Amino acid sequence: MKSSFKDRITTIQTAVIISNFMLGSGILTLPRAAAEKVETPDIWLSVIIGGLVAIAAGIIMAVLSRSHAGKTVFQYNQVLLGKWIGGFLGLCFVVYFFTTSAYQLRAMAEVTGLFLLEGTPSWAIMMVFMWVSLYLMIGGINPIARLFEIILPLTIVIYLLVMFMSLRIFEWDNLRPFLGQGLMPVLAGVKSTSLSFLGVEVILVLTAFMNTPDKSIKAVVYGTAIPLLLYLLTVIVVIGGLSLEGVLTRAWPTLDLIRSYEFPGLIFERFESLLLVIWIMQIYSTFTITYFVAALGISQIFKVSIRKCLYILLPIVFIISTLPQNINVLFKLGDLLGQTALYLFLPIPILLLLLTKWRKRSNG
Amino acid sequence: MGKYSSFQKRCFLSILCSMTLLMQTGCWSKGEIEDLSISVGLGLDQGNETSLEKKFDKLGAGYKKKDLITYTLQIVDKQSESKSGDVKSDSGAKPYLNVSETGDSLFELLREFSTRMERPVIGHHLKVIIINEQLSRKMSMNNLLDFNLRDNDIRPNCLVFMSSGLTKKALEAKGNSVIPSFRIFGMVGNTYRTFKILPPMSLIKVEAKMNAKASYMLQNILAVDGEVKFSGAAVIKGATQKFVGRLNEEELLGVSWIIGKGKGGVVKAYDEKTKQIVAYEIKSMKSKIHSQLKGDQISFNVQIESDGRLSEEWVNQGQTMDAGFIKSVEEAAEKEVKRTIKLGLNKIQKEYKTDVAGFGKRFSIEHPKQWKKVKDDWDELFSEADIRYDVKLKITEMGAKDGH
Repeated sequence: MKSSFKDRITTIQTAVIISNFMLGSGILTLPRAAAEKVETPDIWLSVIIGGLVAIAAGIIMAVLSRSHAGKTVFQYNQVLLGKWIGGFLGLCFVVYFFTTSAYQLRAMAEVTGLFLLEGTPSWAIMMVFMWVSLYLMIGGINPIARLFEIILPLTIVIYLLVMFMSLRIFEWDNLRPFLGQGLMPVLAGVKSTSLSFLGVEVILVLTAFMNTPDKSIKAVVYGTAIPLLLYLLTVIVVIGGLSLEGVLTRAWPTLDLIRSYEFPGLIFERFESLLLVIWIMQIYSTFTITYFVAALGISQIFKVSIRKCLYILLPIVFIISTLPQNINVLFKLGDLLGQTALYLFLPIPILLLLLTKWRKRSNG
Repeated sequence: MGKYSSFQKRCFLSILCSMTLLMQTGCWSKGEIEDLSISVGLGLDQGNETSLEKKFDKLGAGYKKKDLITYTLQIVDKQSESKSGDVKSDSGAKPYLNVSETGDSLFELLREFSTRMERPVIGHHLKVIIINEQLSRKMSMNNLLDFNLRDNDIRPNCLVFMSSGLTKKALEAKGNSVIPSFRIFGMVGNTYRTFKILPPMSLIKVEAKMNAKASYMLQNILAVDGEVKFSGAAVIKGATQKFVGRLNEEELLGVSWIIGKGKGGVVKAYDEKTKQIVAYEIKSMKSKIHSQLKGDQISFNVQIESDGRLSEEWVNQGQTMDAGFIKSVEEAAEKEVKRTIKLGLNKIQKEYKTDVAGFGKRFSIEHPKQWKKVKDDWDELFSEADIRYDVKLKITEMGAKDGH
């Protein structure tokens, strides 16, 4: 496997990939997941803090990757930690990314089966989805980045449209009292909100593809800022529209918000299908990038061609995604992935960074 | 793709094309609209088997159930070739079809329709749910609405109403030009003309109230001879989520003044001296509730302000209206508003002991720490709270007529 790549991506493209990675299934469930922990209407504060935590973690990872120009995390941790330990750590990352892609695949199938294509077997939905994604990934990182550049603005425009239209059922009183129970509930929610910013870790791999790896920090900050603003808007509008209690028992609160109004007389009266369309595009991009990174990891650890990995992993991801028996187990898997990510992407990058600095100093 | 021969490429392309063709054949589980029964209204009454059901039962159609609920479904029916069920009047003419089933599980009842009609029922376009007050006195809203909140077809913007009579009657219309569910759904839009109509309560809002164990009001519907009227409100108690009583139109007006979210309406009062009619038309209304906490004693101050127009008066026929007269009209109207508030408050605070006017919400905003302690028995504390109110109405215009 070659260690440098022909296809390069720009800083903006990197930011776009990070944003698209984050805006996955989280956007539909974030208000509930956060409300369960916070139990006051101050959830939006938790979102801001969670976003800042994610940016901080992202910056550490960006600095780390920047100091190993042209190499992905799978390669440089073998350099830093030796072949075996580094390889094992790399495999952990691969398992994480791979399970995440399986999780996204299943979440997509669940929502599509419930709201769009009731009666269509989920394997049929998943297959088509996976093949289209495989077709994109065969082309490498550059086509991926370019497709994401089309998807993201589309997502933002449509999302803002449906969110602003739901202001007709918005009530300020649902967001009050402000800090009624103090700051502690807000902090309790930070963990679950920062989980929706998962995706920033992809910078560990993307920096190797960047035109100007020095700008990896910029990419991380921009890439996280877009989801941060969208999440903030989501939480405010959903809680303002449905109220804290209304959100708590709904499986997909954001979708319910859009289902809670209609505009008679407009070309479309119902907008949830629009939301679902952009949401499926977002899941598609999350699935694609996690799957691609996992395949890349395996190809770099075992020195096999990435094309082979992409094909071989396809049935495996399908099998994993069908494992959770029901949606509760699926949500649990999501939580588990989040926990794992906290361990994988907070302490380990810091250690790797310290190791890098120490090596540099002892060499210089 | 340099390493592939053109043959390989061609093979790949032809496989791809045929695969695409397979995938492009359309929806997997499509349902043609002609083959569906679109339900637009739903009524829940106390269990009482219809004569048709009794006849079916005689022939051995029964299954294990308790006759708790009679479920009436309104189906838009333009083709009208299938006339099963209890169509009251002559068939063929009406644009809708009402069918009833009796039993306990709402979902089972819905599916039971499949044994009687050739077209499956879909709920995507369900507009109104009407619940009989007596049924709701026995069964909690949680049980009555659970299925509707779970179903992925039914949208949470569907509106919930109460009916003091049989909901079957509210889902009927005289003549054959209107679909009763659409009429009721449309009437909600008239809130800018009168505040005797409550702001719409959608399924999702009811669910929020249920989860918060909060009390709330639902619009009450009266039905007579195929005509319907919005009249008063049904009060649902927070702790039990059951119907406790009704507010009549005047009491509802009083509570609406406290809530202060009306968009328009009339205050009809009588002139102090002449006992003649003066009518004040509301252009805007605002209310501010302030809560006070002294020790454990909770009290409220409600300030109500409104701008409006003098729309009718039978006092000063053809004479000049001076400032003094306008003042006296304002006072007469204020007195009338205070009268309705007193009626409404008395009902919700002393008789029903349910806070449906948002006092608890204000208290939770102004005293969040204390709220956490009292919220579980809020309705009880609310009934003991001291509530003062102040009403200021201001006439800012006199309509098209000049003062002379």
